[in-house]
Amino acid sequence: MRLRPAIIVMTLAVAGSSWAEAQEPRLVGRLPADARLHVDAILDSARSLGLPIEPLVDRALEGASKQASGERIVTAVRRLAGELQIARDALGSRSTSNEVTAGASALRAGATGDDLARLRRLRTDRSLAIAAAVLADLVAVGVPADTAVAAVLALAEFAQDAEYLALRDNVERDVALGASPISALGVRVEANAPQGDFGATSSRPPARKP
Amino acid sequence: MTERDMLLERVAEVLKEPVAIDPDLDRRIMNEVRAGPTVRAPIGPVAWLIRRRVVSVSPLGGLALAAGIAAVALLGRSVWQATAPSAAPPSATVAATAEPTPSLVQFVILAPTAGTVSLVGDFNDWDRSATPMRPARGDGIWSVTVPLEPGRYRYAFLVDGQTWVADPSAPSTFDDDFGPPNSVVTVGGS
Amino acid sequence: MGIHDVTGESDGALVQRVLDGDTAAYAGLVSRYRDRLGRYAMRMLGNRADAEEALQDAFVRGYRSLRRCTDPERFGAWLFGILVNRCRTLGGRRARRQRTVVHDELALSRASVRDEGEQFALRETIRWAVAQLPSANREAFLLKHVEELSYEEMTEITGASVSALKMRVMRAREELQRLLSEVVHD
Repeated sequence: MRLRPAIIVMTLAVAGSSWAEAQEPRLVGRLPADARLHVDAILDSARSLGLPIEPLVDRALEGASKQASGERIVTAVRRLAGELQIARDALGSRSTSNEVTAGASALRAGATGDDLARLRRLRTDRSLAIAAAVLADLVAVGVPADTAVAAVLALAEFAQDAEYLALRDNVERDVALGASPISALGVRVEANAPQGDFGATSSRPPARKP
Repeated sequence: MTERDMLLERVAEVLKEPVAIDPDLDRRIMNEVRAGPTVRAPIGPVAWLIRRRVVSVSPLGGLALAAGIAAVALLGRSVWQATAPSAAPPSATVAATAEPTPSLVQFVILAPTAGTVSLVGDFNDWDRSATPMRPARGDGIWSVTVPLEPGRYRYAFLVDGQTWVADPSAPSTFDDDFGPPNSVVTVGGS
Repeated sequence: MGIHDVTGESDGALVQRVLDGDTAAYAGLVSRYRDRLGRYAMRMLGNRADAEEALQDAFVRGYRSLRRCTDPERFGAWLFGILVNRCRTLGGRRARRQRTVVHDELALSRASVRDEGEQFALRETIRWAVAQLPSANREAFLLKHVEELSYEEMTEITGASVSALKMRVMRAREELQRLLSEVVHD
């Protein structure tokens, strides 16, 4: 059964209410009153699910610093909490905070939970934090999301973290010098994993050799 | 009527979710327990209905003893109602265990007409005034160098206390939560 | 102070050990019931600091009055009763300290939020709604529907009559229904 709240009208007790006290010390005095209750509740849910809290607090602080409305802050924190949960479910319950956080960034960039799960299966014995972060960074310089996913997955089995970072740095530099993101990526990936063409037409990684 | 029951079932489901309790609480409780008088059964006949159990030291216990850690390994949960045990809370995600050594990272932006520029991001709790930047050579370049431990940080520049500017030389994020996207810096080493 | 693997040791056995002078064995009982009792305290009091205070209080009182536990095999239930009391005291203290209460209306419009974000919104809403209940009704609701006690057990713990408890649970259910009725089905 899916319940979707339409308009939720809240009554808040502000001064002296135990529910309005910020649990998170970094948020004390920073959030607008109407956001405090909801953000605390989201943090509490996240804690009970074993999700990393820091990125949520950071997001709330960013909103406060940018003087966003309480509603906007709550929406942002809630959205990120959802992404962290999807990332953690895809990457497995033994994922580190860094992996889950990077996974959420990858989701925001356009990867799917399935992509992250696949990444985990290909790279079971190493941290996925850098691979997921590089995925998000590649999309950030203009590589289409599915191409970036394909590239990261193609390298997942064998590449070291340093290679992932070098790939990203090289693509960024080539793009800054005028190359198109896809061709910049294609050149670099071919050098590492000559298994397929990662131009605009591919949307899934090549089948793994048995 | 069914709808109402389903709603209340959902409510109960949510409320039954485990809650993370400070792991240090056990220690605080035992400290307070030990601070007071030791509780003992009164001497004399007492109508206990318990059979004495044989106490054994498990191999794990031996190791823990060697490490000087006082721990009670509890592998099962007995619920005082004879119903199915509640699910164990999901394991908390673990932070990276590598020893973090900070790297010095320089942030630079060209802002010739700015009066003030500050660097604001995850690493300073998005505090607008924590990290002011300094004009470098008088040609409109502002910079600041910050020690950052390995990790991935989102940030932006705040010009004249009112305009948020992303770093043109850094990858941007996709967070459109609060208007223009931020920049991200990854510091290696973890 | 010894290190023991308490797997399979019943509450009664651990209580016996403590009363024989092995104070460290009490840690086994703490560990066994901390999460379960902590969840109730958290749902009842709504914030971590109070919940942990009530929890610590209850466990320490449990130790100090351990000889008065007449059925050590049901230590957990006995301790739970102590916790319910501590939560009442703590809740009452906090209520008396409240001075001014400011009411505000916040309308949240639901733009496109992903599925998981919706789950978080639902959780918040539910926890908020439970917090709005008068504490006696909240207590009864939690004992009945979260701790899944029988009314007889609830009477033992709270001292209220079965009929009073049934009334409180019913009022809680109605109030929750009312508060959550803005939730719209797909």
